[in-house]
Amino acid sequence: MNFEILHRPAHSMARVHLNANESVLAESGAMIGMSPNVQMQTQAGGLMSGIKRMFGGESFFRNTFTAHNGPGEVLLAHALCGDMRTLEMTQYGYFVQSSSFVASTPNVQTETKIGGFKTFFAGEGVFVLKATAPSPGALLIGAFGGIEELQCDGNLVIDTGHLVAWDATLDYSVGKSGSGWIASFLSGEGLVCHFRGQGRIWIQTRNASAYGQAIGSMLPPRSA
Amino acid sequence: MQPQMAPQGYPQPPMAYGAPGAGPTAAHQITHGPSFAMLRVDLRPGETLVAEAGAMIARHQRVGMEVKLNAGRSAGIFAKLKAIFIALVRKAIGGETFFVNHFTTPQSGSVWLAPALSGQIQYRRMQGETLVLSSGAYLAHMGDVDLKLKFGGLRGMLAKEGAFFLAVSGLGDLWYTSYGGIEYVDVNGSYMIDNGHLVGYEGNLTFNIRTAGGGMMGFMASGEGLVCEFQGQGRVWIQTRNLGALVSWLSPLLP
Repeated sequence: MNFEILHRPAHSMARVHLNANESVLAESGAMIGMSPNVQMQTQAGGLMSGIKRMFGGESFFRNTFTAHNGPGEVLLAHALCGDMRTLEMTQYGYFVQSSSFVASTPNVQTETKIGGFKTFFAGEGVFVLKATAPSPGALLIGAFGGIEELQCDGNLVIDTGHLVAWDATLDYSVGKSGSGWIASFLSGEGLVCHFRGQGRIWIQTRNASAYGQAIGSMLPPRSA
Repeated sequence: MQPQMAPQGYPQPPMAYGAPGAGPTAAHQITHGPSFAMLRVDLRPGETLVAEAGAMIARHQRVGMEVKLNAGRSAGIFAKLKAIFIALVRKAIGGETFFVNHFTTPQSGSVWLAPALSGQIQYRRMQGETLVLSSGAYLAHMGDVDLKLKFGGLRGMLAKEGAFFLAVSGLGDLWYTSYGGIEYVDVNGSYMIDNGHLVGYEGNLTFNIRTAGGGMMGFMASGEGLVCEFQGQGRVWIQTRNLGALVSWLSPLLP
């Protein structure tokens, strides 16, 4: 399998080349096109994990695309304008902001984690997936805006709306950005994620909820 | 089944150090432009970066952040009250809150910033001149730079985007941002700009808000609304997209 990413960075699309009988697991709704010998199978992967995924802002279902009788291809894209990239699986795995997950090799196991109690009420919930794989594989992630890789060397503080993925070697905790709740509110930064340890963090250069608020405040109120 | 990695990463421009001269020069880098520009500033001990509230993407933990009301330097009680009033009005009508975050660090550390909308970030080294930014265009500054709110007048209120301007003056570093790409126009005499596309202009220019022409019919039917007619000699920065136009395109499509 090979992921080829085209039209970067603003409107990226991934072309997944599948060998015969190979599969790729993709977020529902991500498919743009596929060869005629590719078959799609929808799976919930268990009721509880499906419900957990829905809480995380993802879809209940995921689709598996398998090439039968020879090689085939699947075209995938993310809903928002922005870049995509692949992450090669490591023995530690990754944490992925749930809405950034686009696709993975079928050996990748994902588990939804809720990033702490207080984030649940703050709107920009930090629902993350922990992605691990017992053998080599890859993740395909999509971002809003560009993707930048930051090297965490001890301490970094990152706005939760800009997080895409990070090495599972890092410790993280979600908290307020300023010294107090009022200062955090006025600072406009909302919630931030504190990282400790060594590892890589991928951030997106735009924040979907900040974009929504900037435009949403100018839109007419929704009629009931 | 080893996945092949697509080529990753962007060509990174080198770190820029402001032109030599008076005042501080910030070590900074603007990447991911023109659509999704991001700014990284490497702070040295004793330097203070001031940024629009909500613009922070990330910072080193040792970099402290403090929220302040943007009332300008050595503002008196009246200027502070005015700033609070404007902050409340702005909170209601949308746009910048006029709260700013001050970033300082005991050791060197970085701050990453980006605006909310898709667009570009530009750097300007302020050398004593005045630049007037339209609402939403300010991102951050460093050094001996003063920010003053300007009221765009009643006609400015009518034009929404023209209600408030920010006059920036002094010595230091300024970063401003746009919705879409940033283009400049050197005005010599007179020039018209749709006011939703205005990013900023040099302080020696003056402008009037008026209709684009064609009388009442032109105002209603041309789709051009109000324009700023600039007079004088100086540079005007425009953005290639208009937030008002996006909103009026989007509104009828909503349920």
